[in-house]
Amino acid sequence: MNVFRHPPLKVGTIAAGMILSAFILVLLFLIVSHPSPENLISSMFSPEIRFAIYLSLLTSVVSTALCIIIAVPAAYGLARYDFLGKSIVNTTLDMPLALPPLVAGVGLLLFFGTSPFGKALAEAGLVFVFTPLGIIIAQFFVNMPFMIRIMRSTFESISPRYEYVAKTLGCTDTQAVWRVTLPMAASGFFAGAVITWAKGIGEFGAALLLAGATRMVTETLPISLFLNMSCGKLNLAISAATILIAISIISLYVFERYGGSARF
Amino acid sequence: MLHIEHVSKDMGEFTLKDISLEVPQGEYVVIIGPTGAGKTILLETVAGIYQPESGRVCLRGRDITHEEPRNRNICMVYQDYMLFPHLSVHDNISFGLRNRKLEKPEIERRVEESAALLGISHLLHRCPDTLSGGEQQRAAIARAIVMEPSVLLLDEPLSALDGRTREALRKELQRLHDAMDITVLHITHNFEEVFSLADRVAVMNHGEIVQVGAPDEVFRKPNCEFIADFVGVENLFKGMCRLDNGNAVIETEALCLVSTTCSRDGEVFVSIRPEDIMVSRAKPEISAQNVFSGKVTESVDAGMVMRVVVDAGLPFVVTLTRQAYQDLDIKEGDPVYILFKAASVHVF
Repeated sequence: MNVFRHPPLKVGTIAAGMILSAFILVLLFLIVSHPSPENLISSMFSPEIRFAIYLSLLTSVVSTALCIIIAVPAAYGLARYDFLGKSIVNTTLDMPLALPPLVAGVGLLLFFGTSPFGKALAEAGLVFVFTPLGIIIAQFFVNMPFMIRIMRSTFESISPRYEYVAKTLGCTDTQAVWRVTLPMAASGFFAGAVITWAKGIGEFGAALLLAGATRMVTETLPISLFLNMSCGKLNLAISAATILIAISIISLYVFERYGGSARF
Repeated sequence: MLHIEHVSKDMGEFTLKDISLEVPQGEYVVIIGPTGAGKTILLETVAGIYQPESGRVCLRGRDITHEEPRNRNICMVYQDYMLFPHLSVHDNISFGLRNRKLEKPEIERRVEESAALLGISHLLHRCPDTLSGGEQQRAAIARAIVMEPSVLLLDEPLSALDGRTREALRKELQRLHDAMDITVLHITHNFEEVFSLADRVAVMNHGEIVQVGAPDEVFRKPNCEFIADFVGVENLFKGMCRLDNGNAVIETEALCLVSTTCSRDGEVFVSIRPEDIMVSRAKPEISAQNVFSGKVTESVDAGMVMRVVVDAGLPFVVTLTRQAYQDLDIKEGDPVYILFKAASVHVF
């Protein structure tokens, strides 16, 4: 072997990457190919999986919307302004990323289940413990850092001078952001929303602790996978897994294709 | 008339210290200074992006210090265009007029007018990122002048362009200014822009305006060593000045120079511009006060002119036209005489 054409470093590192990706593909293939196609299709259209799809879509769309409404302004503030304690706020907002979702779930459960604020909400009709509302809040809490990070880096990459020009051309501060910065941040916004949504669909740990795993009540796709796996209904479990795989692949593709310079 | 009165602003890295500048209506003021001198901050403060910590900005007799940028009718053009990438050239130019809620036909008329003025009528439907640098800057200038601003602020508008485009757009700016009688503050690093565009030039350093005046005055008579250095004044020497019936004699380390521009005794700097020095092979007959013999130590082709260094005790840089250089027929090591007028020896 010609050592100059195939240097060991090059061969070794490329091989590591290829072995890893082969491993991932094998796993995905094993899941998808485990049941027969007919069984897979019929499971997907079973009432339980249809409910799980519906609940997953509903909760993830609502939690993504919540993330957008709160994370976009927060990310803008963090990107544009300097203020006392900014680095502490930045680090704190990243905390849920490093925190195990189960721990986040415990916190949420304590907050909504035992704190006076949570009890007041429950009395007003907003019950988060063991309800779909809890799923939404769990997804929001765990995935909000993704939206913030992506939007923050997107806003930081846009020169504030665009806004300065817009202001000299007759815009108020808010109009300048609305008409210039936000349209320019569209690709980052889109990428952030897709990632947040995809993460929301897959959220399990925090949702499990706060909303529980009740069949046909708080049964999202990952919860359905967990419930059916634990009682041996492999076909149902795997159809839920297959849908989750499809969603991951699509959202990853969309992020890479349309995400522009957005990174998290 | 734009009045900037004692404006100060501390931005940490950049500062403005007690800036005062009066710009009559229609004047073209070019601001030069090293990077970090606060030039852009000054423009952005005039535009209203930043509030000064003290001082006032007045425009046409109205105090606009605390006025919102959108109510100032002051427009700004940056070096890197800052065209809104999600809008067509047309929508970029009409952006401000739409904010003013003008009638649609009026907007169309003015957009077409200013596009025509800058020669970009055929580009109106295009997206900014499909244009060349020169075209983008034309669009950015059109977007500003379509507002008919009271003051136009240009922050190194030509610096990102290649030589030929820069030259063309510089002439365009000159033409626009003459045609529109518009007040302009223009930041540049390019001295050609100073001489071709400026009615007056302001030199900034460390957040202060250190000298304001006609370009000729500032370049020929810098009021401090910094400006002499910055504008690249050659033949800068240090000496002791002695007044002697009307003329001043400046003793440098090697020569005594005679000057008519010195009015004080003591330690001074003098500069003689290279083009003010004449070179002769024979001892000159005329009675110039500053005649020295020396030796050519260097001659360099500097494009339009030849740069010759003559060591006459002090190293004098002389620029000669190519014709004069050939006529003199000098080369390194040749003995020559240099002479210059006492009025050319500028003391500061």
